[in-house]
Amino acid sequence: MKMSEPQPGFQPETQEELVRFIAENVSSGRRHLHPIGGGTALPTCEAESIPVQLNKLNRVIDFPARDMTITVEAGIRIGELNRILAAENQRLPIDVPQAEQATLGGIIATNWSGSRRFGCGTMRDYVIGISAIDASGQRFSAGGRVVKNVAGYDLCKLLIGSRGTLAIISQVTLKLRPQAETSALVTLTFDSLSQVDAVLNRLLTSATRPMVLDILSTTRPPQLIVGFEGTSREMNWQIETLVEECRPFEPRTTESLVGTAAETLWKRLRDFSIDSKSSVTVKASLPPSRTCKILNLAIESGIAVQAHAGNGIVIGHLSERVSTAEQANSAIKPLSELVRSCDGHLSVLCAPNGWNALNAVADSWAGSLAWTQRLKRQLDPHNLLNPGVMAFGPA
Amino acid sequence: MPNDQGLLGRLRAIVGDAGLLCTPEELLVYECDGYTVEKKVPDVVVFPTSTEQVVAVVRLCNELGVPFIPRGAGTSLAGGTLPIGGGVMITLTRMKRILEVSLRDRYAVVEPGLVNLHLTNHLKETGYHYAPDPSSQGACTIGGNVATNSGGPHTLKYGVTVNHVLGVEAVMPDGSIVQFGGPCEDGPGYDLAGLFVGSEGTLGICTKVWVRLTRNPESYRTLLGVFETVTAATQAISAIIGAGIVPAALEMMDQGIIGALEAAFHFGFPLDAGAVLLIEVDGLEVAVEDEAERIEAICLENGAREVRRARSQKERLLLWKCRKQAFGAIGRLSPSYCTQDGVVPRTKLPEILEFITDCGRRHDLKIVNVFHAGDGNIHPILLFDERDADQVHRVLRASDEILQKCLDLGGSVTGEHGIGVEKISFMDKLFAPEDLAVMKSIREVFNPDNHCSPGKMLPTAGGCGTESRPYQSHPGRRAAM
Repeated sequence: MKMSEPQPGFQPETQEELVRFIAENVSSGRRHLHPIGGGTALPTCEAESIPVQLNKLNRVIDFPARDMTITVEAGIRIGELNRILAAENQRLPIDVPQAEQATLGGIIATNWSGSRRFGCGTMRDYVIGISAIDASGQRFSAGGRVVKNVAGYDLCKLLIGSRGTLAIISQVTLKLRPQAETSALVTLTFDSLSQVDAVLNRLLTSATRPMVLDILSTTRPPQLIVGFEGTSREMNWQIETLVEECRPFEPRTTESLVGTAAETLWKRLRDFSIDSKSSVTVKASLPPSRTCKILNLAIESGIAVQAHAGNGIVIGHLSERVSTAEQANSAIKPLSELVRSCDGHLSVLCAPNGWNALNAVADSWAGSLAWTQRLKRQLDPHNLLNPGVMAFGPA
Repeated sequence: MPNDQGLLGRLRAIVGDAGLLCTPEELLVYECDGYTVEKKVPDVVVFPTSTEQVVAVVRLCNELGVPFIPRGAGTSLAGGTLPIGGGVMITLTRMKRILEVSLRDRYAVVEPGLVNLHLTNHLKETGYHYAPDPSSQGACTIGGNVATNSGGPHTLKYGVTVNHVLGVEAVMPDGSIVQFGGPCEDGPGYDLAGLFVGSEGTLGICTKVWVRLTRNPESYRTLLGVFETVTAATQAISAIIGAGIVPAALEMMDQGIIGALEAAFHFGFPLDAGAVLLIEVDGLEVAVEDEAERIEAICLENGAREVRRARSQKERLLLWKCRKQAFGAIGRLSPSYCTQDGVVPRTKLPEILEFITDCGRRHDLKIVNVFHAGDGNIHPILLFDERDADQVHRVLRASDEILQKCLDLGGSVTGEHGIGVEKISFMDKLFAPEDLAVMKSIREVFNPDNHCSPGKMLPTAGGCGTESRPYQSHPGRRAAM
C-alpha cells in the first residue's frame, strides 16, 4: 500500500525479454523472483529475491473502442489507462489510489478494489483475457478478446489476487464500461452505529440503486456515504429519494455533493488505504450484516476504518501509537474473533518487516488450503515466484 | 467395465433402490444431453440426496476404477454430460433444496439440483432475483450452470454465472469435501471458486452453491426494432454499443426464425422483415425512458422500418417467452437442428452473419439465427433431417467453418454452452500448446486419474475408450437454450 523504494533488478522492455529472463533463471541458479508493478500494493519481498520491474511493459496492443474492450501489456499505469479509455468515453470502474504509479498487473495480482465495488464489481468482472509467464519461463494465455467466452479453464480468475505467486502477468484484455454522465455522493451522520445499521437494512429495498455504500469512521460520528452514478435526472431523483427514505432514522446531518463538488470526498474514499501514518493496515471481509459490529470493535481498538458496507469489506489502520507486533496483535484480536465467528477473513495488507506473526490472523480456508498449496506446487514447483507472499505458508 | 452386481449392489446400498437406474430402457434417457449428435449410455445412473452420498459414490468409483460424471438436467448443448467410457452418472436433480436465503447479505445457498428459475420464483416479493437467466432456466439446474458458466439474454448487463457465484462446496475427484469461497467476499488464497465455475465437471462435483442475489430493476422498456436486412440490424447493434449504451439485453432474430415464432406464438411479428432486434433496457423509471428513446433513434438512423414497444408487462413477458422458447419453435422448420455458440467482437457481427448466409448457400443448408447480439454471441441454427447422412455431414462441415470464421475474426468457439465433447477439436485452434499444457496441469492437481468427467474440455483428455458416433437414429430431447 505504501510506496516501497525502487530496487535494482530486471526490467524487461518486451514480453519476449521477460520470457527469456525467466527461462534463463530456471537453468542458471533458480533465484527467487518477485514481480513489481508500481510498487504500491504488495509488501516488499525477502531480500535475496530479484525484483522484476514490469512498468516498461506498458503498450496498448489493441483498443477496438466500439467493441468496448482493450488489450494492453500489464505494466501500464492505471492513470495512463484511465486517460486512454476516457478519450473514448469509457472506463475501468475500479477505484485505485496512486493511479499514476499503480499498474494494471499490480491491481490484478492484488485484486485491488475500492468503493465502487458495490455497484461495479471487482477485477474478476472485467478481466476477460490474460497472458502470463510461469516460473519455468513458459508464456501461457487464457480467455480471449471477446466479452463472453467459456472455452477452457478461467485462468483469469485464478491469477486475479494470486499476488504474483503463480505466474507473472504480462498482458491483459479488459471488458470496459461507458463513463457515467455524472456522479454524486450523499453523506449522512447518525448518533450511533446501530442507526447506521438500521439505515443499511432499509437501503436493501431502497427505490434508489446506490453504487457506493461506504462508512468512514475517521469522523465523529462515523459517516455513511452513499454514491450514485448516471444522468443528472437520475442523480437528482435518487438523492431526493434517499434523503426521504433516511428521514425516519433522523440523521444528524445530510449533505449531497454532485459532480465536481464531490471530487474531494471521492479522493478521500479512494485514498483511504494509503492516507495514514499507521504502520499496520488490515483488511477484513465478513457478511455485510456484521459491518457495523466490526466497526464498533475497531473504534474501541483505536482502528480507523473505511467499510464497503454493501460488500462486508473493511480496511483498518491501526493506531499510530502501535509500535510492536504484540500491541498490533492485541488491537486486532477482537476483530479477528468476530471475523472467525462468521466464517470471514482478516488479513494484513501492510506491516513492518519482521512482524510476520501478524500474517494469517484469521483465515477460514474450509478445506481449500491443501488444494491451494498443491496448485502452487504444480505451477511453481521450485517456489521461485514471490515465496512467502501468500498467507498459506510454504508450498 | 465392471458394471456388475458388485458395483450395482454397493451403489444401491448408498443411494437405495429408488436412487438408482440400470435397465437399458431407463438408461436411454441419459445417453445424451441437448447435444444429440454423439450418444453413449452410462452403466448406471444414481440420484444422491446428500453430499455424503456423493462422497460415498465417488469413493466407490475410485476403489473400483470406474469413471463417473455429474449431471444436472441435461440441458447442456455441447455434450458436457456425455458419459464417455460409460461408468456411473451422478445425477444431482434430487439435491434441490434452497438451504438459506440472506437478503441482508445478498446471498442464497442452494443445492446443485435446484432449477435456476425456482430460485428467482422463491425470491418473489423480496425485490431480489438470481440474475443469470439461460433460456433453459425453467429446466436447467444451478449446479449445471456452475459447471458450464451459463449465460443468458440478460448477461449483457449483469454478467454470466461466475459473476454471481460467491462460493461452491464440491466433492473432489478423490472423494474429499471442500469449500471454495463462501458467503464472504475476497477469501484467502486463490479464487478457486472462480476456477471451478465453467470447469465442466472436470475438477469435481458441485454439491452446494453460494449465489449472489441481485436487486430487481424498478422499470423496463422492451423494444422491438424491425429491419429490412440482417446487415442493417447488426449495424444498429454496433451503433448502440458504440454509443456507450449497455442495454439489459440485446437479442437478434432473423427472418427464418421469426416465421417459426409467429406460427408458434402469434405475437404479430412482421413476417417480411429481414431481422428484428429485441432490446430491453432496465433501471430506474426516471432513466429508462431516455435510454429507450436514444436506442429508438439509433435504430431508425440505421434503417429500422419501425420500432415497436411492449405496451404492458404481459406483452413484455410474451416477447421474452417467444425469445426463450425459440428453439422449441424450430420443430416447425425441420426434424433436427444443430446450433453453434460462437462469439465475435461485436463490431464483426455483420461479417460473421454474411459468412453464415454464404455458408448455408454453399452447403445447401437452411440456417436461421436467434442470438445474444449485444455480446457478439451468435447461435446459428443449422436445420437438417438426421435421417439423411449426407445432410448430417454437411451440417458438421458448415458448423466447423462457422466456428473457424469466429476464430479468424478474433472470437471464440463458445460463449456460454461450453466445450464439452462437441468443440474439443477446436481447443488447439483456440489455444497454444503451452496454454493447454497449463490447463492440463491444473486438471491434474484436482483430477489426477481423470476419472471425473473424462474426455471433456481438454483435447488430450481421452484415453477412456471414447465412443463417438456422428449420428444415431434416436434423437435425444431438444433442450432450449
